[in-house]
Amino acid sequence: MNTNKSEVLQGTLDLMILKTLHALGPLHGFGIARRIEQVSEDVLTLNEGTVYTSLLRLQQQGWIDSKWGTSENNRKARFYSITRRGRKQLAVETDNWERISGVIGRVLRLEGGKQL
Amino acid sequence: MNSWTLRLASRVSGLFRQKKAESEFDYEMQIHLQLLTEKFIRQGMGPEDADSAARRQFGNTTLLRQRHRESRTFLSFSTVFQDVRYGLRVLRKSPGFTAIAATSLALAIGANTTIFSVAKGLLYDRLHVAHADQLRMLRWTEDQHSAVSGMWGDFEPAPDGQGMLGSVFSSPVYRQLQAHNQVMQDLFAYKEDSMNATIRGNAQRADVAMVSGNYFNVLGARPQLGRAIQPTDDALPGAGAVAAISEGVWEREFGRSRAVLGQTITVNQTPLTIVGVNPRGFTGAKNTHHSPDLFVPLSMQPVIDPKGKNGSLLSDSELWWLNIVGRAKPGVSDAQVQAALDVELAAATRATITVKSGETVPRLVLADGSRGLNYAARMFRKPVHVLLTITGFVLLLACANIANLLLARGAQRQREISVRLALGAGRGRVLRQLLTESLLLAGIGGAGGLLLGYLGRNAIPRLMSNGWRSTFDVPMDWEVFAFAAAVTLLTGLIFGLAPAWLTARTEVSSSLKENAQTTTRRRKGMGGKAIVGFQIALSTLLVVGAGLFLRTLWALDSVDIGFRTDHLILFEVSPPMKRYGPGKDVQLHQRLEQGFAAIPGVEGVTASLSAYIANNMDNSDFLVEGEDRAAHQRDPEDMNAVGNTFFATMGIPIISGRSFGPQDTGTSEKVGIINQALAKLRFPYMNPVGKRFKTGDDWVRVVGVCGDNRFMNLRDAPPPQFFLPWEQMPEVGRLTYAIRSDLDPAALAPGLRHVVQQADRDLPLADLRTQREQIDENIQTERMFGALTAGFGVLALALACVGIYGIMAYSVANRRNEIGIRLALGAQPGQVRGMILRESTWLAIAGSVVGVGAALLLTRLVKSMLYGIQPYDPTTITAGILVLLAVALAASWIPARRAAGVQPMEALRHE
Repeated sequence: MNTNKSEVLQGTLDLMILKTLHALGPLHGFGIARRIEQVSEDVLTLNEGTVYTSLLRLQQQGWIDSKWGTSENNRKARFYSITRRGRKQLAVETDNWERISGVIGRVLRLEGGKQL
Repeated sequence: MNSWTLRLASRVSGLFRQKKAESEFDYEMQIHLQLLTEKFIRQGMGPEDADSAARRQFGNTTLLRQRHRESRTFLSFSTVFQDVRYGLRVLRKSPGFTAIAATSLALAIGANTTIFSVAKGLLYDRLHVAHADQLRMLRWTEDQHSAVSGMWGDFEPAPDGQGMLGSVFSSPVYRQLQAHNQVMQDLFAYKEDSMNATIRGNAQRADVAMVSGNYFNVLGARPQLGRAIQPTDDALPGAGAVAAISEGVWEREFGRSRAVLGQTITVNQTPLTIVGVNPRGFTGAKNTHHSPDLFVPLSMQPVIDPKGKNGSLLSDSELWWLNIVGRAKPGVSDAQVQAALDVELAAATRATITVKSGETVPRLVLADGSRGLNYAARMFRKPVHVLLTITGFVLLLACANIANLLLARGAQRQREISVRLALGAGRGRVLRQLLTESLLLAGIGGAGGLLLGYLGRNAIPRLMSNGWRSTFDVPMDWEVFAFAAAVTLLTGLIFGLAPAWLTARTEVSSSLKENAQTTTRRRKGMGGKAIVGFQIALSTLLVVGAGLFLRTLWALDSVDIGFRTDHLILFEVSPPMKRYGPGKDVQLHQRLEQGFAAIPGVEGVTASLSAYIANNMDNSDFLVEGEDRAAHQRDPEDMNAVGNTFFATMGIPIISGRSFGPQDTGTSEKVGIINQALAKLRFPYMNPVGKRFKTGDDWVRVVGVCGDNRFMNLRDAPPPQFFLPWEQMPEVGRLTYAIRSDLDPAALAPGLRHVVQQADRDLPLADLRTQREQIDENIQTERMFGALTAGFGVLALALACVGIYGIMAYSVANRRNEIGIRLALGAQPGQVRGMILRESTWLAIAGSVVGVGAALLLTRLVKSMLYGIQPYDPTTITAGILVLLAVALAASWIPARRAAGVQPMEALRHE
């Protein structure tokens, strides 16, 4: 069993990318990686290549779209943007995430209380 | 579109845009790395450090690229190609295994393809006309009080057991139905009959379809030459002396010459002008396999095929004889059509025949007309389905066999697979690799099977038809091809999936350590044994089935028919009514009999009304003088009209009294001979010779009693039967001649034909065959079953043999160590051999018991196809089990000897 510490939970990265695209509008892969790095404040480290796997997956689900365009320093780049279905999915996933993390948080607090 | 279809669509489109997507992704990664490097440089790293840090942070680009490639589409072509190449190499490396597996698969798939193509041809093919699915045939059911009495056509018990089902109508009823029909497109009528035809001076028996004027129009058949039969041809009774010929006749008799139009042929002595040649593949409305030779207008019936009271059936309301077909109208349901036409039929019936009180009229049934009368399907549905089932079992057996071999091989390849897993191959990838190998194997087998199916496709129709009539060819079309391909794919998955799954589950760590194998080995050994047990069960089933069909065939072959069947040549002569009226036909047959008798090499000649073992019979009322009339009033007995030399020629013994002789003429007292069965039934406890009986309007004196013989077929016991000399009859029509001669039929044929030609140039000698061939034809279904099931049984045994050998050899190889220890501790080689043989014997017993259980359940379904034997016949079942045991012992003999020959020191050192 691979127990690499830095591994981002499967599906979490997808959710983060969706949220990033939702919040910031169209971005290229490098931009997404930077944004996640910035927000996570170096708590999460990730192989930035996996961002692209995630992007492909999201695209196949029809939750994001991509277009070729020109980046801020005049390079050709692929820009990803969230679709309407993606927005809906994001709402569902966010809901889910909050429910589950709430439950996990409660469970962890409960355990802690007993040990005290 | 939901997300599932979106994903599928993106993957399908991924198949086509592979290259572009890859280069775009490469560019994206490259830009990302550049930007990342620039970022690190801005943060103060040196260019080289920045570059490697960027690579570290980005991750493995090659892996990423590959992962993308795989998730973009189903499979990447490169890896499939790799799998195939590797699979081929593996198969080539073990040629023995590959040969056995591919051959057994090819045989099984070939058998399935063959039977499927025959089943399709016999049961499912439609008439070769446009929109055959619209065709509807009119039929009817009637109860025992039906007012309809005279019938010329097919007639059978209705499938629901309620009364009888028929499909012929009188001509006046047809005209009335056609006139009043509002619910279907135009109705047409036809009748097919066998007639004498002379084409280009060549007298022959020809199948003639008499058709209503709209027949070709409604069927939508356009002639390839000339014109079709038209309504104007069919306008007046006796008029319209034209014929359309089939493509077969055009080719056979006219060499496809365009000068055929306008030529004259004679049909039953009536000259007809050829006006057209039917389209290629057209077989008429009656059946799907072969076309009538000639098509003539229905209006010619009174001239060429006179029947009934005044010769013309066109105005005859009593005899029902015409088949009626039409096309469905769009928007009118079959139920509506049936209801509407039923009313019309009742009205037409009451308008044309007198229906007495208490009598009923037939109820109309609308039936599918797209396959014509579909005789073949009705006759062969059950045999064909039984054959499909049997070949399905054979295929299952072949699959089990290969699964077993693959399982054993998988165990041998555990090390290889462990190494591949350890080197980083995904389990899915290994599974796919193993499945690819299975599918390759299936593909090779399937290709072989298709080839066998192609070569053998006409073998079954040959087995099912006789030597003197035309047979049909089974086309090899894309449906058959698709069937073979589907079967191949399915078998590949069936026999490949389980072994691949088990093999791919190999634990890397445990199997690389050699001595840790024992835990997994036991499980796989059990799986293999279960498969072999299953094989033995299936083989038992097939062997028992083959045994039953072979015993049936033997029982039929050894039946006492009651006359001498050797050196007997049969043929038919049918003098047409037009030229040979009552009395004249009798004279003709007398002349012919004398003519045949004069041919050198002919030992005896006789003509009779019915040929024996030909699936037909005649009967007539039989009333013994002085017997209570009421008791036997409607009790006809089987009868045959025969010549004077009949009993001597056929070798039927006269038990008492005398045979017919020259003294029995048209003017002398009417005489008859009865067989022993009839004597026992109708003249109990008395000597029938000298007694009289009444048949028809004549009183007949019994002059002799003869031995019993089988009549219609080999299955039914000899029926009570009486014989009358046809020389005493006012008219006889068609007779079957029997010639006893040591000469070959082919050598005798020219002389026979010459005699007939001398008497009448237009008279054909038809259906020349020997009595033996006639009998063979009668039991051809049984013969075919005997041959095919025996073949499949042998194949099953061979496969079981391979399976048992494989599993035992594998087991012995794996237990070398254990056997070595046993021998070292003092076990005798004989004991070791016994141990191995015992193991396989138990396996065989368990498998065959299961097989016998299945056989007991299934053979009951073919009870009606067996003769002289019960489906649970203990002898056959015991023999089946013994055969399987013998095969099991034989197959495990070599592994057992190998086990007994193990050198303890060597075996232990090896470990």
